[in-house]
Amino acid sequence: MEDKNKKSPFVTKVELGIIAFAIILPFIFDSSPYFQGLLIFVLMWVILGTSWNLLAGYTGLVSFGHAAYFGIGAYAAALPYYHFHISPWWGLLTGGIVAVILGYLLGIVVFRLRGPYFALGTLASAEILRLIFGEEEWLTNGHNGILYMTTWVSKYPYYFIALILALGAIFSVKFVMRTKAGYYFLSIREDEDAAQALGINTKKYKNISTVISTFWAGMAGAFYMIYMGFIDPEVVFALHNISIITILVGIIGGVGTIWGPAVGAVVMVLVQELFRSSIFGLAPSWVSGMHAFVFGLLVIFVILYMAGGILGDWDLIKKKLKFSRKVETSK
Amino acid sequence: MKFTKILIGLIAVGLMFSLNSCGKKETGPIKIGVLLPLTGHQANFGTMEKNSYELAKEEINAKGGINGRKLEFVYEDDTGKPDVGRSAAEKLINVDKVPMIAGGYSSSVTFAAAAVAQQYRTPFLVNTGSVDKITQPEDFNLTVNDGDKFYIYRMNPPVSEYASGLESLLSEVVKPKSVYIIHENTAFGTKGAKSFAKTAKKLGIEVLGQQQYSAGTVDFKPLLLNAKKANPDMVYMISYVMDAALLMKQAREINFTTPKLYVGAGAGFTMPAFKENAGKASDHVVSATLWHQTLPIKGAKEYYDNYVKKYGGDGPDYHGAEAYSAAYVVADVLTRCKGDYSKETIKKALDNTDMMTVFGPVKFVSYGKKIHQNKMKTYVVQWINGELKLVWPKNLANAKFEYPIDWKKVWAE
Repeated sequence: MEDKNKKSPFVTKVELGIIAFAIILPFIFDSSPYFQGLLIFVLMWVILGTSWNLLAGYTGLVSFGHAAYFGIGAYAAALPYYHFHISPWWGLLTGGIVAVILGYLLGIVVFRLRGPYFALGTLASAEILRLIFGEEEWLTNGHNGILYMTTWVSKYPYYFIALILALGAIFSVKFVMRTKAGYYFLSIREDEDAAQALGINTKKYKNISTVISTFWAGMAGAFYMIYMGFIDPEVVFALHNISIITILVGIIGGVGTIWGPAVGAVVMVLVQELFRSSIFGLAPSWVSGMHAFVFGLLVIFVILYMAGGILGDWDLIKKKLKFSRKVETSK
Repeated sequence: MKFTKILIGLIAVGLMFSLNSCGKKETGPIKIGVLLPLTGHQANFGTMEKNSYELAKEEINAKGGINGRKLEFVYEDDTGKPDVGRSAAEKLINVDKVPMIAGGYSSSVTFAAAAVAQQYRTPFLVNTGSVDKITQPEDFNLTVNDGDKFYIYRMNPPVSEYASGLESLLSEVVKPKSVYIIHENTAFGTKGAKSFAKTAKKLGIEVLGQQQYSAGTVDFKPLLLNAKKANPDMVYMISYVMDAALLMKQAREINFTTPKLYVGAGAGFTMPAFKENAGKASDHVVSATLWHQTLPIKGAKEYYDNYVKKYGGDGPDYHGAEAYSAAYVVADVLTRCKGDYSKETIKKALDNTDMMTVFGPVKFVSYGKKIHQNKMKTYVVQWINGELKLVWPKNLANAKFEYPIDWKKVWAE
């Protein structure tokens, strides 16, 4: 594929097409803020999935606690508003930075762990934060959550802010993966001890990967606060609804591919909303309870038959489709 | 390029649906949105309320509907989560284009969804969500004088008033010296615990301890053992349904027989599912309630009987009555709109609501920090031999308050 070619331009034609398409997309749904809202959710998951993918897919640090960074970003936007009536919009500046600081602090602990222990360590840190933010009512208003009357009713501004953040996340990952650091990330993923033996400062590069990853997760959190206007610890530090879904978005789309999480995000939001609304009310209402089930089946299928995810195994999928249709390749 | 083709295909499908949702109006049914938890932890409540909305709808339509048009409810499942509730409210407003929303079960979800309704200037008639701030305009960047800009209306009393009916029972009959409070850590639980601690102080009851747990907890024994150690005269619990049942079951298992009274703050403790799951341990438990079928309110008994006839099983508790009455308030409001079913007309009609329902009189008034709030009395019920009996106030009771209670005897097989 062209993407993998080192000498390919930084932004390929296909990518330009996708960007142009993404810019037009909300106007196609002009009459339906509901669909525009879904698109915004897709973009939010693109940011989160891409952030997770850099850490897990490229650097081999499989985080099960991305909700920690997402949540802290959301609260970075919400808390100044709650206590001092400072606009949550500042969160778009502070959210990412606070998440990076948290990522660094947690890193001191969890980077001592490897493999499954690292995963459990990250999972635990998100859960600890969830409990702290739930209990310390004087600071966070606890489970009552923080409500903010959102700035605009129109979805357009939110869509384009999310789009800028999503493209920022994707291209920052693409950029860093084309530098020396990117190759170091891969070497850490493949064999951390060997990388260290070759003289790579693994700790430093793990931290660099974490900084970029947590920054975008925090930005996604801050954006969530500004857009949704309501957060509570159970929502933003959720194990299942944030941490696990983030992983699934990455896995379905394709671990260790630039655009994989974007594809995963589209699939995830589509499946969730199709089922939550009982296929737009066309199916009986019991279908609405099925979205977790169907998504689970999808994940099992992807892991069993295309471990690289939809984009990671795109060549394979293409081949299979062509073979079954008996279409000759023109190459 | 195949990729873009697929995306274009998806959009085409999306457009079809978005076109589908508009069209045909005027003579068809009037659609009103209803937001309820139909799946998840709170599905028990949501289902009872949906059944009650449907029951009321059938009766209303059988009597001619709204000025000749049929009434229809569009249900959206909030799954008990605030973020889903917000999206669901947005869908009702933007896709289904309803001019008004009713429903709202849990406090957190209702509050979060209320902000959406307020933003889209869509009247929202809350029937259960009880945290105080839902009808306090200051939490929506408004003041109490902004009634004409505030689109939230509430039928049930706020959680701080749930225990008001209980106060006289405690001060006149039980006279407990101490209380231990156990509550779920959501908005409903924490606010309810706080206001009950205040009530206790007023009545001279010492609060020996207060513990919270999160939704989905199954092991309450550590909590209960702490409570047992404190040796309170009464235990006050604010819980949804499965947690309520488990609390009582496990209290029985650890032989926590010393309190004079186990009291629930409504919600789970009046639900048939509480009795089914707690079994013997539910007996003699007392709860605050907002309604009982034997209250001298016209239609209360009929509603209860019709519900049992239609859906079988145990009859509804106050949650069902709230929903059923909310449906009638919706019908009354729409009828008074006389053909103009715009949001502003509906809001004005809501302001002038003054009617009788099976839940009691409904009228939206202002007091303290609240506006558009319906004022109601609350009562006390007790589970006696598997039946929920109204025991307080005395003049309305349909059974004698079982007291004092020997838990060893009650819980013995």
